[in-house]
Amino acid sequence: MADLGLYVFAAALLFGIGVYGLIVARHLMRKLFAINIMGNAIFILMVTAARPLDGAPDPVPQALVLTGIVIAVSATAFALALMVRLHRETGQVSLSADNESGGDDG
Amino acid sequence: MMALLLDGLIVLALVSLAVQAISGRSLFRGIIHFVVFGLTMALAWARIGAPDLAMAEAAIGAGLTGALMMVAYRRLVAQGDNHSPRAPAQKSRLAIPIAVGSGLLVGVIGLGALLADNPPGEAGLIVLETLPEYGLGNAITGVLLLFRGLDTLLEIAVLLTALLAARALAGTGDSSATARTQHPETPLVGALLAVVIPLTILVAVHLLRAGTHETGGAFQAGAVLAAAGVLLVLSGRVSRTDTAGPLVRLGILAGLSAFILIGLMPLLYGEALLTLPGMWSIYLIETAMMVSIAAALILLFADAGGLKRDRRG
Amino acid sequence: MSVEEGIALLFLLAGCAFYLAGTIGLLRFPDVFCRLHALTKADNVGLGLVCVGLALLSGQARVASMLLLIWLVGLLAATVSAHLIARHAYERDAPPEHEGPS
Repeated sequence: MADLGLYVFAAALLFGIGVYGLIVARHLMRKLFAINIMGNAIFILMVTAARPLDGAPDPVPQALVLTGIVIAVSATAFALALMVRLHRETGQVSLSADNESGGDDG
Repeated sequence: MMALLLDGLIVLALVSLAVQAISGRSLFRGIIHFVVFGLTMALAWARIGAPDLAMAEAAIGAGLTGALMMVAYRRLVAQGDNHSPRAPAQKSRLAIPIAVGSGLLVGVIGLGALLADNPPGEAGLIVLETLPEYGLGNAITGVLLLFRGLDTLLEIAVLLTALLAARALAGTGDSSATARTQHPETPLVGALLAVVIPLTILVAVHLLRAGTHETGGAFQAGAVLAAAGVLLVLSGRVSRTDTAGPLVRLGILAGLSAFILIGLMPLLYGEALLTLPGMWSIYLIETAMMVSIAAALILLFADAGGLKRDRRG
Repeated sequence: MSVEEGIALLFLLAGCAFYLAGTIGLLRFPDVFCRLHALTKADNVGLGLVCVGLALLSGQARVASMLLLIWLVGLLAATVSAHLIARHAYERDAPPEHEGPS
């Protein structure tokens, strides 16, 4: 089994990157990347933070993460549909509050 | 030493791919980076010792999420989105402090859990003790169906809700995005499908059956089956319709209804809700869930209410 | 290190060499067709050599046959996708009157 400390470090870095991307990115699909990256960071944290049983990660958080992966793809699919509809209605792929805060990109 | 090098490389790849996906030059590149990020996550899961998660991540997290993002991207382009190529970053003074703070928070929680001298999780121990009674070898399938059945039931419901919501948003009369190129199809595609589709179904059934005693399960099998469906949609063997036929409806609802019906049965004998009455019920629920997961994911990908066979020889 | 392990190591290293060469080609070649040429070397030969190496290392018939299957499916997918990419690139770039007899 791998060095879990390293993966906890990775989870922290990925979560930070995800939060940064969520705040900074303007295109909604990039915000979706960011949210998914944050989710993956939390998945890593949940599995590595539990004490291993019989040399393998604890099955309970693993099962929770497996559920989480499917929920994440459901939510992403819904968010993508929302984004496409928003673009069709308004011609924009970003939130209007983001556009007011600076820049000229519509 | 080698192991540390490998893990270090994986972590480095994860971090740089995440940065690239968020801040890369074009959105299309961003999607590619995100898909590769998902595949690297699968490698990370394999290294952490969670092959079930690795498989789910590779099939669902990387494959299907990537395919869904590609479809959405193509529809944006078809609707005339010309802002995608550039990635203007927003100016925010608080972005970096907030990001560093939240990253630190996650790191502290993780390190705290690693360094603390906790006993192993009680729940995990109980799971490992109980499994042999039910003849299950895969602890994760055990947790999903025996101990957290309600979670798994609601998960199917969430997938179904996402599908219905996406359908409600899609509206009507936007088939322009799915127009295919008019080139004559090469015979190679047919040959590929003739081999890959049966093989994919075989792999899905193997994963489903294996899920009770080794790596595998309904989610992985459903994702693999959905990949076969995506291939059929892409190659035009199956075309989209606005409303679902009876077979597609049955497929979408099979998992939820089988789970609810079998979950309610114990109430008749005065036992607790969702106490599964034996191995046969586990196989039945897993099969129905595989079909439903695959059907829902294919419909989300095709952005269609239903599917029908396209007869063109 | 036993003899089998040594042979397996040779296969793995040879496979990695093909992957390295293929990746360098993918990054440095000028157009789609040359890049596909480089990519197929890595996909087909590289993957095959790595699979042989791993099969020798495992020493089990079951694992070896699964690796063989992985290689065959990989070959199939790589062949068809390379063909489709090349065809698309050809039809996009070639003027209509020069189109091939396909």
